[in-house]
Amino acid sequence: MDVSQYLEIFLDETKEHLQNLNTRILELEADPENADTINEIFRAAHSLKGMAGTMGYKRMQNLTHDMENVFSEVRNGTIKVKPEMIDVLFQCLDALEEYTDNIQSSADEGTNDNEPLIKMLNDILNGGGAEDAPAKEEAPAAAAAPAEKAPEGCKWDSVHLDSSQISVLREAQAQGKKVYGLNVLVQESCILKAARAFLVFKAVEELAEIIVSEPSAQDVEDEKFDRDFTLIVLSDAELDAVIKAAENVSEIEKVTGALMTLENRKTEEEEAEETAAKEAAAPASEPAKAETKPAAAPAAKPAPPAPKPAEEKKQTPSKPVVNRTVRVDIEKLDALMNLVSELIIAKNSLVSASSQEQEASTNNNSFNEQIEYLESVTTNLHESVMKVRMVPIESVVNKFPRMIRDLSKKLDKKMELYMTGEETELDRTVVDEIGDPLMHLLRNSADHGLESAEVRAQRGKPAVGSIFLDAYQDGNNVVIEVRDDGNGIDVEAVRNKAIERGTITPEQAANMTDKEVIDLLFLPSFSTAKQVTDVSGRGVGLDVVKSKIESLSGEVEVKSKLGEGSTWTIRLPLTLAIIQALMVVVGEEKYAISLGSIQTLEDIPPSDIKLVQNKEVIHLRGTVIPLIRLNEVLDVESKRSPEDNLIVVIVKKGDKLAGLVIDELIGQQEIVIKTLGKYIKQCKFISGATILGDGEIALILDANALI
Amino acid sequence: MELSTLTNKNVPEEEGQRSKEIIQYIVIRLGEEQYGIDIRNIDTITRMQHITRVPKMPEYLRGVINLRGVVIPVMSFRLRMNLPADEITKATRIIVLKLAEEGNVGFIVDEVKEVVSLSVDDIEKIADSTKEGRANLINAVGKHNGELISLFDLNAISLED
Repeated sequence: MDVSQYLEIFLDETKEHLQNLNTRILELEADPENADTINEIFRAAHSLKGMAGTMGYKRMQNLTHDMENVFSEVRNGTIKVKPEMIDVLFQCLDALEEYTDNIQSSADEGTNDNEPLIKMLNDILNGGGAEDAPAKEEAPAAAAAPAEKAPEGCKWDSVHLDSSQISVLREAQAQGKKVYGLNVLVQESCILKAARAFLVFKAVEELAEIIVSEPSAQDVEDEKFDRDFTLIVLSDAELDAVIKAAENVSEIEKVTGALMTLENRKTEEEEAEETAAKEAAAPASEPAKAETKPAAAPAAKPAPPAPKPAEEKKQTPSKPVVNRTVRVDIEKLDALMNLVSELIIAKNSLVSASSQEQEASTNNNSFNEQIEYLESVTTNLHESVMKVRMVPIESVVNKFPRMIRDLSKKLDKKMELYMTGEETELDRTVVDEIGDPLMHLLRNSADHGLESAEVRAQRGKPAVGSIFLDAYQDGNNVVIEVRDDGNGIDVEAVRNKAIERGTITPEQAANMTDKEVIDLLFLPSFSTAKQVTDVSGRGVGLDVVKSKIESLSGEVEVKSKLGEGSTWTIRLPLTLAIIQALMVVVGEEKYAISLGSIQTLEDIPPSDIKLVQNKEVIHLRGTVIPLIRLNEVLDVESKRSPEDNLIVVIVKKGDKLAGLVIDELIGQQEIVIKTLGKYIKQCKFISGATILGDGEIALILDANALI
Repeated sequence: MELSTLTNKNVPEEEGQRSKEIIQYIVIRLGEEQYGIDIRNIDTITRMQHITRVPKMPEYLRGVINLRGVVIPVMSFRLRMNLPADEITKATRIIVLKLAEEGNVGFIVDEVKEVVSLSVDDIEKIADSTKEGRANLINAVGKHNGELISLFDLNAISLED
């Protein structure tokens, strides 16, 4: 069977399940007795196994199968959760991730059988169940072979019949018809279960009358069943004939059936006692039911299964209500985004045309109104499209608790990660990119930041170190903070290191503020860790973090207090594609400066310019601000004479200010950022280009690079 | 538009008779000389338009233009080949080439003359560099109606500095 078309869905869902498993196993580690968590883990593992099996990834299936066995034992209470076991399980997850990565890159799972892992899993199984041998024997078998071992022997006996149905059946029986219970098991690899089920219904109806179906016919049609469904039918024909008819439908694995007696069936009055009896029986059949869960058909994402009475009684956590969502290829969204951009450009040109028109004739009111209406519609449209592209950073930060746990073991330091604001949303492209920088910062905090247990004890800090990851929206920015209560940055150590490395001279060092010294950390190949460890300290890191964040038009800052901890703050723009900008003229050329970095606009008489260390500065409301003459930076002739007042755009980068001297202001405009392509990359302070209303191109100045 | 139909026609033809491959070239003029560019590498030819200068770029890189909503860098063929700077006339055109690595790049040429079909027999490969900086962009010479047309090696045109 060709399953390649389902590969993407498979990968997406596998990643979701893996993430879920990671989170849950962490929970399990903290609370080994939590039945809800164990159930959830079991289910995720089972789904994974089913999906891998369907797609034909045998090794992945084997590994998940053995993991599932372990979970099954844990759930049955025959094995206790032990720390070693959690370690093995995490290793298994890593191995599964490796399979998934392989599949993603080559559609092949690779050749690693992970035998040591499977052996360890089996050891857990054997070791754990030792004192309880018979029970153990039975349970793994059930887990191992859900298809064979879950014969649903008398599933039809537990089908709920209401009193009218019972009386119909009794009547028919009196007339000499036979009542059969049938259980139909669909093949695991079957993709269109509902269609097959429909054919079975059809086939059976030719010979018999279907009285009851469990799940209901409607649910079966909507694929709201696992792999099997149960029918109670009335027929004149022989049982074998009915079974045969149903089995003739392709992709049906097995049909079991038997003559039903109605003696033990009671009408409504007797029902009450029945339920009580059933409740007792239900938990027993529950594992089997869970076994056969959504395993098959990754094609159609099955709707949340209809609640099963047995499960409800077991108090499994109610699944979060699934939002109605559509998976959309990011490329399609990009195309949509581009169209919106074009629309905004077209709107801008209409606006500029209308303002020229206005000078000619002022009585064109309705035209202007329509233009304004168009403006608001395009702005809203843009916002909606941006929202569609927004995803919570959850998908990235969810893997961190696991990472910190592993680090904690590896570094032999006790630490805890506290996260807030996982729901904060960012553009998809940004979210995909911030994972690595954040990971770097967290590793840094764990490795360099937090002190060893002895030092912490000396300083009177709690034995368990805390690392915080907080995300929140701040105006048009999203701020992500990584904070720890560790040692903080030793400014003197950095200073000495920098001198030792020749990054700065001792004289320079003496003149540098602490903040400037700390900024040295962001230089390439600068690591203060006294020892290079596995985790960090190779001097590749902070510079990468910085350049990555800056490539996303964001900035990163650090505040630190020796002995108390440090805070790394990443500030990212909400959107990347369309920004509000100030349009300016330098010489004959138009440039755009992002409004985000602009503080104020100033009109400065030339006499106010002072020289400090041979550099032009102005004194503005108590701050000394260096001036940057854009015409010099951009190699153009300024149109203004030296006696004219200067128009200065005050821009801000972190705590630093600078005044950009321009020739003329045009005004504020919403601009669409276009890349300049590879050729023009080397120009540092041009971050992109935009197309103006008249079709001309204006370059976007990156104020951050100018300061 | 014309170009794309030409290109499309060219492809099946080429596949049909590999033995006698015919390649179509667009013939352009730079000063007194004629050059041929494989038509399959050409995206569009547009009239000269305002080029937005990008600061701190080598001289031959004239700037960027807006081509149907996409920003495309434009370079001067003449400066690239160490010829005197362009004189913009009515015949001046920007040829937009599809380069594998860099995407679309525009080149300013003095004139676009015609489309010629050359069979492989009419094309003579030449060994590299007779004159530094120029000939290394040319990897073959085509004969057409008694005239010689230098054929560009597009891989060499793409960025090397």
